[in-house]
Amino acid sequence: MELNWLELNGYRCYANLHFEPAPGVNVLVGNNGTGKTSVLEAIAYLGLLRSFRGIPDESIVSTEAESAVLRGEFSVPSGSVRVEVEIAQDGRRAILLNGKRPKRNRDVLAQVPVVVFHPDDLDVVKRGPSLRRGYLDDLAAQLRPQAAADQAEYDRALRQRNALLRQEGRSADRATLDAWDARVTEAGARVFVHRLRVLDVLDEHLGEAYRLVGASGRLAWEYISNWGAAAADDLAAAEAKLSRALAARRDRDLDQRTTTTGPHRDDPMLVVDGRPARTMASQGEQRTIAVSLRVGAYRVLAQERPTLPILLLDDVFSELDPRRARGVLDLFGGGQVFVTTARDDDVPVDGRRWVVEGGVVR
Amino acid sequence: MFEPPVQRLIDELARLPGIGQKSAQRLAFHILNVDEVDATRLADAIVEMRRDVRLCSRCFNVTADEECSICRDLRRDPAMICAVERAQDIPVLEKTHEFNGRYHVLGGAISPIAGIGPDQLRVAELVNRVEAESVEEVIVATNPTMEGDTTALYLARLLKPLGVTVTRLASGLPVGGDLDYADEITLGRALVGRQEL
Ligand SMILES: [Zn+2]
Repeated sequence: MELNWLELNGYRCYANLHFEPAPGVNVLVGNNGTGKTSVLEAIAYLGLLRSFRGIPDESIVSTEAESAVLRGEFSVPSGSVRVEVEIAQDGRRAILLNGKRPKRNRDVLAQVPVVVFHPDDLDVVKRGPSLRRGYLDDLAAQLRPQAAADQAEYDRALRQRNALLRQEGRSADRATLDAWDARVTEAGARVFVHRLRVLDVLDEHLGEAYRLVGASGRLAWEYISNWGAAAADDLAAAEAKLSRALAARRDRDLDQRTTTTGPHRDDPMLVVDGRPARTMASQGEQRTIAVSLRVGAYRVLAQERPTLPILLLDDVFSELDPRRARGVLDLFGGGQVFVTTARDDDVPVDGRRWVVEGGVVR
Repeated sequence: MFEPPVQRLIDELARLPGIGQKSAQRLAFHILNVDEVDATRLADAIVEMRRDVRLCSRCFNVTADEECSICRDLRRDPAMICAVERAQDIPVLEKTHEFNGRYHVLGGAISPIAGIGPDQLRVAELVNRVEAESVEEVIVATNPTMEGDTTALYLARLLKPLGVTVTRLASGLPVGGDLDYADEITLGRALVGRQEL
């Protein structure tokens, strides 16, 4: 898949941008704060329908504009796909797919596979479980749009259940709580099963990616949950376990006024030769694992989709030595790549150079 | 800003849902330009509706009488109740001509985030009716949202021990939508194909 052109209006520092990248490698060179990451963010937004910087939509609207408009056309084997997003100052947005409103926004997620790679990726390895859950859930949503719907449903059911517990505590109406337990169970089991599918397809690619980046040892996941979830579970088994766990922990939940068990509390741990990467791996090993996670995601998407994903590398080369840096790009297929860097010399690869400055890319 | 009497109407109109400043201006100038009788008729309609309309003492539909016309209609089957979130949902379901029982307006759906539990809805009133009116079936026609579905589940568990059949509109309704937006054919099919909860 390739981005043919990108148009931005009222988006961050871009009043009007029309950008026609090259099919292969595109290197965006500019000082910090010139808006090169914003270009990557915009491309990723058209595929993921959210900012990879993890910020609310309204903050990407330029303060001078009433709304931000992001438009892009992508070429695919069957022709082309056009995605357009308008975000108003109050955060409301409208999405068009090939000029028409999609039935569901998640239909767009299936259209434009992108893999984003940025320095904060190290946190996925180093920090708490939420970023690792996010990594698996995001990949699940890119593989199956239904996963995005199930994740949203689980979030909402959980927020409703937690609101009831927070407001009422021990005096919560048990029949109402029963009804929310049923919703949390249904959606939660589906979220978990989507994660299992991702872990399954990822396993081989992740191991291979880890070897390719020159590391030794076996990188794998170990999925920890406090509700007895296991890799062999099907949907019915997961539902039964989650339902039992919610019942068993109800007293504790009523006291703590929140939901203390379920997929939102799981810890998908990364382990190297059985050692937890979060605590036992060196900084260098952790960096290698972070790279492997993105390479693994890229390869899974490349395998499951008729077209190669678009690869977005945000300022990752400054952290790698030149030999490593050259090696990293070889790990990905020959698809379209966007690289940002403050120093051209840091990117030891051929490709179209673009200078980013003052809201212009040329 | 326009002269005070004009601006006052614009401000009032702009407070209505779905009406922005631009539409409010257009409506105000339209009212200014029509015959005075027409403008008076509009103003009277608003005043009279507010003065005369109240809630049906049985089903909480809007009515000008003690009970609404559906509850007073002897040809309707009192053994069937269709529970809806809002009174506006009733005419939508009526247009399908597939339902011949009575209604019950719950006043919303269970949503702890919005501070709405069974006590904030007319659930106790529904239970009373099921017992007092020898009801055999309750069709839960809450919106196909997570909150609407959860309310349906809650009502099913609450009402079944009373010996009543509880059904839900068959799927086919757009998920996350309002009954308002479902067309008559879809809604009619949903009524005929309703499923027991
Ligand atoms: Zn009535």
